[in-house]
Amino acid sequence: MVGEELVGLTPEMIEASQAGMKAIGAAIAVGSTGLASAAAEMAIGSAAVGATAENKDVFGLVLLLTVIPETIVIFGLVVALLLIF
Amino acid sequence: MVKFSAGPVPYVYVCTRMRVRKSKLIPREDYLRLLNMSIPEITRFIEETQYKKEIDELASSFHGIDLLELALSWNLAKEYQSIQDITPGVLKRFTQSYLRKWDIQNVLTIFRGKAQGMKTGKIREILVPGGELDKVFLDRLLKEDSLEKIVEALKGQSIYPVIAAGITTAIEEESFAKIENALYRQFYENLLSEATSGFKGGKQFLEYILLDIDMINIRNMFRLRADKLPEDASTIVIPGGRFSIQDFQDLISIEDEKSFIDALKSKVTLKPLLVLLDAMSGERSLREIEIDLIKVQLAQMESFSKMKPFSIHPILTYLEKKKYEIFNLRAIARGKEVHLPTDRIRGYLVI
Repeated sequence: MVGEELVGLTPEMIEASQAGMKAIGAAIAVGSTGLASAAAEMAIGSAAVGATAENKDVFGLVLLLTVIPETIVIFGLVVALLLIF
Repeated sequence: MVKFSAGPVPYVYVCTRMRVRKSKLIPREDYLRLLNMSIPEITRFIEETQYKKEIDELASSFHGIDLLELALSWNLAKEYQSIQDITPGVLKRFTQSYLRKWDIQNVLTIFRGKAQGMKTGKIREILVPGGELDKVFLDRLLKEDSLEKIVEALKGQSIYPVIAAGITTAIEEESFAKIENALYRQFYENLLSEATSGFKGGKQFLEYILLDIDMINIRNMFRLRADKLPEDASTIVIPGGRFSIQDFQDLISIEDEKSFIDALKSKVTLKPLLVLLDAMSGERSLREIEIDLIKVQLAQMESFSKMKPFSIHPILTYLEKKKYEIFNLRAIARGKEVHLPTDRIRGYLVI
């Protein structure tokens, strides 16, 4: 079946298709981890704003806690870069 | 137009603020230090905490116990108002419903104060305008010179029908206890209908209401037993909780203390309460029992707020704890004013 489907495709077309798949994989890696980071930061961010509203001294600490989920999207970015290059 | 939901964000925000505020409440060690201080020292101590603004504002017009009392009332009312401002959506609705308890307390304080001929300023000191009836409205009530006129001024408020129905008897009997019971029964009835009307988060609110009703009923049982007065349970018991009117009547009519505790234990399932009832001996005074019941309730509310961290529970837990902080500070101040021994004052504290 696979062989039959490939009949009529030139090597250039196959190469372009593989590049496209890689690009889709990279997009999924960055996109999904970005959404996951956003979901995590949503809760942490609102708690951070709440804590800062009551006690301004904790601003530095809660800022750090808020950006911790950024690591998820960084992993996604690394995977995307590995896929593309 | 697409409507976006903020999701859990407002809940997380307000519950975090409540947690931070709860962490700023006066800790146990400080109460023990306060017990050894005089009234000016206590005033200075609390001026260094969250009461600074109120103490500074009032210090030019009041001093001593009056300054302390008024600052505490103002602070509590301000806190209640500020919480109503920051709570979102349905949480605000539940919080406002819960705070209507203060309307009952304020109106009854005015009635009792007026009936006893107390000065307006003295009554105002102990009012906490945290509910629906604000400071301006309560001031209007205070200016009225007769109880009938106060009742007239309440026309249009949710508590008016109950008060209007009972005021004549209350004036004749010189006791507002019946009106008080009826108002609290109406209050809890309204809370129950609100919690079960299908709002999101109503289930958690219902948990709190049922706990509160049960604890009040248990406290009333102990009070009635201590007074040894034959009372009609149907006017006292708050329905909706674990105890029906019949259960309540049966329990208060048990004469033997041990049998009463055993019967009560068979009705409750709350673990800390069972532990408390197990440890109860005949030598405990009513005051000690009441304080222990409050502690059990606060511990249970704390555990609710840990189980459901983004619900109405953290807000209610903070509100209750703040209320008892004010009660504790008042108890210390009043105890010091009348030179009560430290141990005696300590017995009145919820710490």
